[in-house]
Amino acid sequence: MITRREAIKWGVVVPAIAASSQAAFARAPQGLDAFLLDTRYVENLPAEHAAITAIRFAGDVTRPWFDTLDHAWRRRGYVLGGITGSDALFVLEVLAQQHGRRVVSQQQLGEKNERGVYPVSWVIAPVHPSVTA
Amino acid sequence: MSVLPPDIDSASFAAFLEELRGAVGADWVWSGDADMFPYRDSFSPVWNTAEERHASAAVAPEDVEQVSAVVKIARKHRVPLYPISTGKNFGYGGPSPNVNGSVVLDLKRMNRVIEVNTDRNYCLVEPGVSYFDLQRAVDATGNKVMLDCPDPGWGSPIGNSLERGVGYTMPHFRDHFGAHCGMEVVLPDGEIMRTGMGALPGSETWQEYPYGFGPDPAGLFAQGNFGVVTKMGFRLMPMPEYYRTGLITVPRRRDFIKLVNHVNFLSDSGLIGEVEYGSPLSALMGNPDFFVLATKTGGPSDAEMDAAASAAGLPSFQVELQFFGPQKATLENWNYAKDRILSDIPGAAAVDGDHFTLPASEDQLNNTTQPWQTSIKRRRSLGVPSLGAWKIVRDDGHVGFFPVLPRTGEAVFEVQRVLGDAMKEFPTLPPFFNALTMPLFWHTHTFQMVFAPSIKHDDPQHNAITHASMKKCVAVAAEHGWGDYRAAPIYQDDVSNTYSFNNHILRRFHEQLKDAIDPDGIIAPGRGGIWPRRFRA
Repeated sequence: MITRREAIKWGVVVPAIAASSQAAFARAPQGLDAFLLDTRYVENLPAEHAAITAIRFAGDVTRPWFDTLDHAWRRRGYVLGGITGSDALFVLEVLAQQHGRRVVSQQQLGEKNERGVYPVSWVIAPVHPSVTA
Repeated sequence: MSVLPPDIDSASFAAFLEELRGAVGADWVWSGDADMFPYRDSFSPVWNTAEERHASAAVAPEDVEQVSAVVKIARKHRVPLYPISTGKNFGYGGPSPNVNGSVVLDLKRMNRVIEVNTDRNYCLVEPGVSYFDLQRAVDATGNKVMLDCPDPGWGSPIGNSLERGVGYTMPHFRDHFGAHCGMEVVLPDGEIMRTGMGALPGSETWQEYPYGFGPDPAGLFAQGNFGVVTKMGFRLMPMPEYYRTGLITVPRRRDFIKLVNHVNFLSDSGLIGEVEYGSPLSALMGNPDFFVLATKTGGPSDAEMDAAASAAGLPSFQVELQFFGPQKATLENWNYAKDRILSDIPGAAAVDGDHFTLPASEDQLNNTTQPWQTSIKRRRSLGVPSLGAWKIVRDDGHVGFFPVLPRTGEAVFEVQRVLGDAMKEFPTLPPFFNALTMPLFWHTHTFQMVFAPSIKHDDPQHNAITHASMKKCVAVAAEHGWGDYRAAPIYQDDVSNTYSFNNHILRRFHEQLKDAIDPDGIIAPGRGGIWPRRFRA
């Protein structure tokens, strides 16, 4: 579990972003459009930070996907950051690929559990010309 | 890992890709390692080995005319195409092809829900439509119909049905290929064909009568390689008024045989939806003595298992029943099921479960109020697409072997024993087959059981065990008449070989057809174990 103190207001996400040299980020100078927070690994973070919305879920990506991402990823732009389980990231990565997006940065944040799942911070950004901003 | 299609050099391949770009636009043709990574099978047990199959490029046409153009270009250059719809199919090969160097024909851009008809209860969709997309279209009708979707629901109705995938509602909708009605196909020469009533100009019954006149070739396009399906119709269930659940338990091991026969009757009579068989004795698997008993070579005796159940004060087996229809009908059907089973099996007991008006609320979909430990996954049972199934995935994924077996308790016990003993050769695997392993009643008229060993990208030794165990499972099961229903490309030849009646006449017949319409193997050579002359030579 990553505590509020450890996260230090997205501190675990920002290094991942800063470390990315992907060209995708050059096309997204506005930074992140939303954070996705897996409550299995992140506790008590605010609903938004720097006017960026935080979407919470507990390992099952269904609602974030159906309510938000499926719409957002049909349009241009939309850079998404997250702290989730690696299982949730796999689902998001597959969905992202189908929508011209990729995981452009990721950082493992803890050990694998008995199912091989571990916490990870990441950024998914548009890479295909049909969806880049 | 860059690869080339068979029998082609780099310069010719570059020319081929340039022609593809001319047909679909430069942004919709991909090659190179980074772009092709998503087209690898991330659940592959031969990940990063010489056996892994790699595509050379991918192309995403926008409509059927572009599909036809791509097929004609591939035919001209003799380059194999590997069509995918949304490319999920995890556990069965994902988007990876049978032949190294094939070009993935990615149909994701063809994502139009062409029609949802809530008076005649059907839909017509393109391959890139996901179950989520279709759910949105159904939502727009005011939820007048219910989907029947696989779990997870991110795949496409066309891709899933062409793999003979399944859902979890009423019997005649769960078999997704069986529930299709009418298809449009681009043939290996680029011609566009419609089956059934779609062949009759002016017909308005393409999605109502599947056969038209004369032979119906639709079956050739499921797990086959005779064309690229670009549209399909599917029957939809009118949204039932009410949903009801109930639990039946039986005390002794042999009672399972009668229980299965009763459930078969209820299902084949159209009184129930998908059921979940289970054993309350699963709670004892953490007890080392019981674990040894349940996984005993040759299987435990009925007396041993009954003694363990009696000592624990638990029934041996249970079945969760689900009812759909008018409220009164669901209650009458549940009462009938209880009377029928309890009057025939001494000691059987029944528990009333959740029941409510459809469509379900979010709380009802979360399924937290059943008065027993339920195995029902409520979203999929009510045809609501979900991604929650990923909670069951271990390590980096798994491969699936789902043998088809008779719908009897005796067959279930035999599979438990035979495959349980056979898999003892692989002691590091979980005991998929043991005295409590239950059948899946997903397909409409048969049982299947599940073997799904995991894979790890960073552990080739682990993957080698998984790979060897899959091949052994296919072989041992076939010796007993239990055949796999669906397989990843790396296992399709193994599985095809087991369907060997009369010196493999079924495969030879398919090969004759393939040679006649696609001798160069433009469409997915090797898929379903069907190889054209060019690749058999």
